[in-house]
Amino acid sequence: MIADILTGALRSGTSVLYASMGELISERAGVINLGTEGAMVAGALGGFAVTVWTGNPWIGALGGGICGGLISLMHAFLVISRNANQLASGLTLMFLGLGLTAFFGRSFVSASIVGFNTVEIPLLSDIPWIGPILFKHDPLTYVSYLLVPGVWLLLHRTRIGVILRAVGERDEVVYAYGISPVLIRYLAVISGGFLAGVGGTQLSVAFTHSWVEGMTSGRGIVAAALVIFASWRPFRAMLGAYLFGGAQALQLVLQSRGVDVSPFLLFMLPYVLTLAALFLVERRQRGRMPEGLSKVFTGATG
Amino acid sequence: MNHAAPMSEPPHEPVDDIRQGAAAAALEASSNVPFWRKTLPNVHIGLAIVGPFILFALFLLLVGANPLEIYITMIRSSFGDSYGFGEVVVKTTPILLTALATALPARAGLVNVGGEGQLAIGALTTTFAALYAVSGWPAYAGLPMLAIAGAAGGALWAGVAAGLRHYGRMNETITTLLLNYIAFYTVGYFVHGILKDPASFNWPFSPQIDDSLRLPVVTGTRIHLGVVIALALAVFIWWLLTRTRFGYRLKTVGGNSVAARLAGIPAERMQVLVLLAAGALAGLAGMIEITGIEGRLRPSTGVNYGYLGFLAAWMAWNQPLWIIGTALIIGATSVAGNALEMTSGLPSSAMHIFMAIILISILAFGRGRAK
Repeated sequence: MIADILTGALRSGTSVLYASMGELISERAGVINLGTEGAMVAGALGGFAVTVWTGNPWIGALGGGICGGLISLMHAFLVISRNANQLASGLTLMFLGLGLTAFFGRSFVSASIVGFNTVEIPLLSDIPWIGPILFKHDPLTYVSYLLVPGVWLLLHRTRIGVILRAVGERDEVVYAYGISPVLIRYLAVISGGFLAGVGGTQLSVAFTHSWVEGMTSGRGIVAAALVIFASWRPFRAMLGAYLFGGAQALQLVLQSRGVDVSPFLLFMLPYVLTLAALFLVERRQRGRMPEGLSKVFTGATG
Repeated sequence: MNHAAPMSEPPHEPVDDIRQGAAAAALEASSNVPFWRKTLPNVHIGLAIVGPFILFALFLLLVGANPLEIYITMIRSSFGDSYGFGEVVVKTTPILLTALATALPARAGLVNVGGEGQLAIGALTTTFAALYAVSGWPAYAGLPMLAIAGAAGGALWAGVAAGLRHYGRMNETITTLLLNYIAFYTVGYFVHGILKDPASFNWPFSPQIDDSLRLPVVTGTRIHLGVVIALALAVFIWWLLTRTRFGYRLKTVGGNSVAARLAGIPAERMQVLVLLAAGALAGLAGMIEITGIEGRLRPSTGVNYGYLGFLAAWMAWNQPLWIIGTALIIGATSVAGNALEMTSGLPSSAMHIFMAIILISILAFGRGRAK
């Protein structure tokens, strides 16, 4: 049963993991994006639709990522170029994403796709206990294994990562150095939206193989919350995403075993757990927040 | 529909006006200002008003609908006859209250996105009270008790966010959003569980509340007493925020919490207080939905009103009197959306797109943007 839950944690946590990596990159550059929810749901439908049209889930994932990127591009424009309130802009784009997908998704509700199937990695999946948990998943899950160290390397071991973090902390310095903080922020927000879109695609094309209106049900919001829980660190965000996924998996496992718990209590468990996790870590991490998160620098007066 | 109201400047922000004046002058002087801004300083306001209609018309053309026809249907269905207008008023009421639930804490620098959940829990406690506590009571005693029950439920839910903020230093934007999902499933838990009507053939809703516990309505429409309550509360909160010491202190807390503390204002306590009051407002909206419209609790009771209220508050820059106007616009838009679904086969989600477009253009072109 524990193995079931852990396997499920990875399976249903992966979409949140993608979104939280995207949110993390965006926030490290100083932009909070609650539109991640909108980007995710846009990616879920976009990825699903492209998979239906092309029959190729990889092109679907790319399409989903682009849809997420476009939603986030709007956020970037409003927040960075038009100096709009980040929270209001993010929420607006959440509505826009939910509205657009509800509108265009109608014809996809009953569509069926092949999508991503489980690929067993030879040899590794034969390792007792660990093998089935880690190495019997869809390809997007494997990509996410590489994504987390990739994001960490990008942020902490590359020049572009240093610049990105500097934009989030002291954009004046970057500006004085001759690099446009505006450009870096745009890139960070758009690639964050791209990742959220891929996460949405994982949900529709790899996890459920279907499109349902509003299927992200707050996962983008959870991703934004997890980034805070993770103190803006990739590996801790991964832990948080799997924690959320585990709570979802617990619900499925208990249901399939016919345990008599109201499904509604189990539905709310991931959100309660996210709140509890936030509460436990929040007090110990003052001062780690990228300083730029509270203001957005546009470069005009630097 | 008229979008002039939300775009106007809040009337009493002299400091901001000076700052914006200076900023505008600086913009004027610098060279990389878009040409339209230099030549026609007010074009952007026009864009924010007309832009959404043009954009949405383009969208409608793109999906093969006739924009002119749609706009005419929208106006006719919401303002064309007394029934339609009654529906608009009925829709506007909860949106007005949840918008006030955003605007009041916003004055103290808090972002309450939890109207959705606070309304749902208010509706839940109202239903509990109506079925188990005041069942059979006469209206004059029962309705005030239900109002208290609903407000208390909403305040309790906001209190969770307030507590997490106070003791865990957790940002209320994230917590109120997450609490919305928890509230939604809590209502689901009860309407599928102990609140389920035994006579409902397994449909998930509560039994009907007593007729004596329904809000009085204007004959021939669905307009109920809740409308008056919501309007009165909007005026009261306007008075509270702009004409009292409390409102002034609250604004200080929202503007500069350090200065507020130095001036001896209990900033933290005031923030907790307004968050609780906001929850009570949204909870009251839930009570009004149950006693004025639905008569029973369903999983869908009040869904989206919290978010729509948030939009209304934002469109009005959190000014309580402007909110009456923006809530009316959003209420009319949702009624029009329902009508469109019936007449033109356009799904009601089209209206969410329309509202998002309106808000995006306000965010992009509006002056007096919040920090």
